[in-house]
Amino acid sequence: MTRTIVNRVLLGVVGVVVLGCGVLVLAGGLDLYRRLGVDPPSWWPLTSPDQPVVSEPSRWRWAGSSWWWPTVIGVLSVLVVGMAWWLVAQLRRTGLSSIAVPTPGVGGLRLRVSARALEEALENGTAVLPEVERAGVRLVRAPRHPRLRGAVRLTPGGDPVGLVEHFEDGPRTDALGSLGLAELPADLRIRVLQRAPVERRHWFRRRRRGHPRVV
Amino acid sequence: MSGDQESPEAVRKVPRLRATRAGAAALVATVVLVVAGALLYDVIAVRAGQPAKRWRAQIADELATRHLDDPWVLVGAGGATLLGGWLLWLAIAPGLRRWLVLRPYGGTSAAIDKSGIGHLLADRAAGLDGIDHLRSRVGRRRIRVAVSGSADPALVQRQLREELERVGLARPLRLDVRTTGWQVAGGGAAGGAGGAAGGGVGGVGEGVAG
Repeated sequence: MTRTIVNRVLLGVVGVVVLGCGVLVLAGGLDLYRRLGVDPPSWWPLTSPDQPVVSEPSRWRWAGSSWWWPTVIGVLSVLVVGMAWWLVAQLRRTGLSSIAVPTPGVGGLRLRVSARALEEALENGTAVLPEVERAGVRLVRAPRHPRLRGAVRLTPGGDPVGLVEHFEDGPRTDALGSLGLAELPADLRIRVLQRAPVERRHWFRRRRRGHPRVV
Repeated sequence: MSGDQESPEAVRKVPRLRATRAGAAALVATVVLVVAGALLYDVIAVRAGQPAKRWRAQIADELATRHLDDPWVLVGAGGATLLGGWLLWLAIAPGLRRWLVLRPYGGTSAAIDKSGIGHLLADRAAGLDGIDHLRSRVGRRRIRVAVSGSADPALVQRQLREELERVGLARPLRLDVRTTGWQVAGGGAAGGAGGAAGGGVGGVGEGVAG
């Protein structure tokens, strides 16, 4: 969730900067200020179509000041480091290889359970629930504690509410109980198959029904 | 119906799914990283006494000679406007429009595929008599179902509404059912095959909390 917020804020900032530059140049280039009768303040940049985009004087305006080059280098360095961090945050795997399990009463023992074992147990537990055709479960990274992500395909006419309740009361509660975890929230993505034949106009959209993908 | 009426607060609390935007973020981060990195390298090289790279001198020269009404400048500015608007849209729009959130139960939250709801409705209607054809379009606020056949519109509507309630969506969808080919006088069975032959168009729309 945090990554979503960071991504969206940064995308918005970059978007506003790019959009602002574009609109500013367009407004000057198409001479919108004169045509619309708007009188921009004297410091407003790029007002006349006859001026260059970045003229020589404005490029060298602060170049003589002692603070200019350190500032440019500092800002660019911050930008490079920040963008590298942002990129790495996207490339980080969302999957986990294992999950820490509390060991109350036993000092000095740290226990981790393989994520694959937990996923398989949950997958098997979900696949035998009523009306479930296939199920896939993954353990993923999340801000405070790991989360479960499940992709479930129901047989035609299946009951989504029933599935959610059965999953919560069955496999998830069992997993929490046997691992002794306090919290392990789950997100399910549910698909339902169709019994009636798919309409003709949809034939080109029908995809091969493979194993449900956990996103 | 019963659960939704009493808890509008709970309905509002379940948020829509929001996409992470990891792909767009990685792309933008890469582009800014490359541009800023190249500029940083060259600025430091120039401060260290080396001549500026040709690309930077060329870009500075172009920017200094091309005026604002130059076609290339205008095209570039137009492109930047579109790109900026698109990035802003990515930042604001929720994304993941395929998925509709269900009411959470305990620690399990769930979302259902929009086409899955269409399948459920189609299967429910397929079990009724007198329906030749059904087409449903599931949006994020309402479902439009077009039914042709001799079935009673009120019955179809009731059945589909029941099915929609069974899905347990956190944000109720409106259900609009349009029926064509239904004939009041009971002569519908004969003309059932050519549903639109003489039948009027019966539009039944009703808000449904489901």
